Amino acid sequence: MGSLSASLNIALQSMLAEQGAIETTSNNIANANTPGYSLQRPDLEETPPVSIGGKSFGTGVQLSQVTSLRDAVLDLRVNQETQQQSQLNSFISGGQQIQVLFNEAAGTGLQSPLTAFFNTLSELATNPSDLTTRQNVITAAQNFASSLNQASANLATLQRNTDLGVQQSVSQINSLISQIAQVNQQVVAASTTGGNAGPFEDQRQQLILKLSNYIGVSEVDAGNNSLTVTTANGSALVVGGQSFALTTTANSSNGFQDVYSNGKDITSQITGGQLAGQIQIRDQEVPAVQTLLDTLAYNLANAVNHQNSAGFDLNGMAGGNIFNTQAQQAGAAASISVTITDPAKIAASGGPSPGSPGDNTNANALVALQNQSLISGLTPLNFYSNLVFKVGNDISSAQTEQTAGSQVLLQLQNLQGGVSGVDINEEAANLMRFQNAYQASAQISSVIDKLMEATMNMVT
Amino acid sequence: MTVRLNPDLIPNLLISIEQSKMNEATATQQLASGRNVNQPSDDPAASAALVRNHDQADQDAQFLQNMTSLQAKFQVADSTLSNTYQAMNRALTLAVEGANGTLSASDRQALASEVQGLLNETVSLANATYQGAYLFAGTTVSSPPFTLDPSTNTVTYNGDSQTTTVQLTNGNSITGNVPGDQLFLNGNGSIFGSLQDLYTALNTGNNLSAAVTEVSNAVSKLDSQRVFYGNALNQITLSDSFLNQDKLNLSQQENGLVGADMAEVASNFSQAEVANQATLSATSLILNQKTLLDYMA
Repeated sequence: MGSLSASLNIALQSMLAEQGAIETTSNNIANANTPGYSLQRPDLEETPPVSIGGKSFGTGVQLSQVTSLRDAVLDLRVNQETQQQSQLNSFISGGQQIQVLFNEAAGTGLQSPLTAFFNTLSELATNPSDLTTRQNVITAAQNFASSLNQASANLATLQRNTDLGVQQSVSQINSLISQIAQVNQQVVAASTTGGNAGPFEDQRQQLILKLSNYIGVSEVDAGNNSLTVTTANGSALVVGGQSFALTTTANSSNGFQDVYSNGKDITSQITGGQLAGQIQIRDQEVPAVQTLLDTLAYNLANAVNHQNSAGFDLNGMAGGNIFNTQAQQAGAAASISVTITDPAKIAASGGPSPGSPGDNTNANALVALQNQSLISGLTPLNFYSNLVFKVGNDISSAQTEQTAGSQVLLQLQNLQGGVSGVDINEEAANLMRFQNAYQASAQISSVIDKLMEATMNMVT
Repeated sequence: MTVRLNPDLIPNLLISIEQSKMNEATATQQLASGRNVNQPSDDPAASAALVRNHDQADQDAQFLQNMTSLQAKFQVADSTLSNTYQAMNRALTLAVEGANGTLSASDRQALASEVQGLLNETVSLANATYQGAYLFAGTTVSSPPFTLDPSTNTVTYNGDSQTTTVQLTNGNSITGNVPGDQLFLNGNGSIFGSLQDLYTALNTGNNLSAAVTEVSNAVSKLDSQRVFYGNALNQITLSDSFLNQDKLNLSQQENGLVGADMAEVASNFSQAEVANQATLSATSLILNQKTLLDYMA
């Protein structure tokens, strides 16, 4: 036999449960636009039945749990894609600052002063004794040298600015991992008390997503719902409630910041995120282009100097250097300059000593350097055109990857939304359901109340 | 169980809007610059080829400039030799007249006097310059190649016998000069030698017919030598047309590498505009949709 009071109890419990479900629905709708919010599902469960006089009676409903709906694998994939995209974005941004220096289509770059230098030599060969023509050669040589100086200086500036960027990224990373460590503890605490750790997990995932913009990370489940976060190559960033900040130290040879994690230099092993892109630009791309410029400057200056020394100038003396000598190839583009100031000293004449003012044999030989394989088996101009190709191609490859990656990221975000996103229509329908159930239970309470009254009145 | 779609449409819509805006921006840049390669990353191979194209065009421009000044120089040389030729023909006339046995000594002296004038004139012509450099000095172009010793009436050559090579285009070079001794003191017909001997012959009355032969030889020799400058001028004209054709070819090549097909770009632009408008309109419709809540009230 059931009892009226049991029924009343069931109705009351039901109202509480449905009330809880309505509160969850209300929370979902309120957080419909909150970034990183995971849809919460109120789990209504039948309470265990009781047996009275051999008959089984149900005891109603309870709100056992509020579960946050999320897919940990999707979260991980989104983080990984974000890390890749951020690295590409950062690399492309740096690359575009490099290619602006060599933009033939827009009229910047080294082709014009390089060809102009050889053109003045060509003019000299038609009029070797003319002082104005000779002065033009010196001026053109100076223009060429200074265009190399400028390109090199601009690259160095980009490197320094990127180095500042590295420091800023490290600073952001450290701030984020310390926050992640705190939330990590909150997640574990909430999980062990049996509550819904969902909101804390949401927060943690948002922080890791933000962190993914800056650096590539690996996530490992550490048990008790705690997450261990390491760099891509395994150096610890967050373990439990502790964070291990990155540090930066100036490199002894180039003065740029090396990144240290737990006492180890991880600079060259960082992959993913803005930091990796910045390091790629600073430590690989810019140095590679600088080396190409240095190779061009060093080899061309040496060849011109060598050829000039083989001839005789207007004073009948053997020719000297046109460009200053470089002790070594590294830094040649930054330091190349014109050492000759007297136009008479250009050695247009061939031998034998002392040559003659109208002889253009050596001037012809100087012009001919233009078509000789002076640099790695290439003419100076072809060497330069390969430089332009490399700069453009590195960016264009990264852009192709970026486009493909952004499609993947969008797909993953849509899948995530499918699992965790709040659908107003769904919540509205749920609201209706819970409202109806609440009202029904309230009605039952009212009916039982009347029955109890009737029972009381029976006795008096 | 059906797959639950992402209820948040905003990110997808925003990306569509962003994409159509980017297409519009690209088309605008191409319309403004007339190029579809505006930086190396747009087409790295074309950008590298453009470097080579510009280099060739710049070189061609220099060659054309060189040839303008070479042409002027050769024309001065050619007309100088033409004047020399006229002077020598006059000398030949005088020589033939003087060899006529009917003239008196004083008549012959009058002729000799004119021959002296021709000698002085041709020395002056032989020392012609162009832009400060002596044309007929071989490579010692900074000092006058010929000096006349008034006491002996002998002309000495101070220059050298070297020639220069000048490049007209890539792969086409010509000789740039004829040395002065070859032109004016040639062993097979010397201009100065024949004039000097004619002068002496007219004054003394001896060896007049030999003098006539000498002058005649010098005239023929000069005639055969001066074709050099005529030929050089022809070469320049040919190279000039070659270079101008090359300029056209390079210009077409450049257009092929980086030039935008304006009709295509204009069409892309209006397509992007239309797509942008359509996306914005669709976005507005989607965002204004009613939800279940609106119907429940």
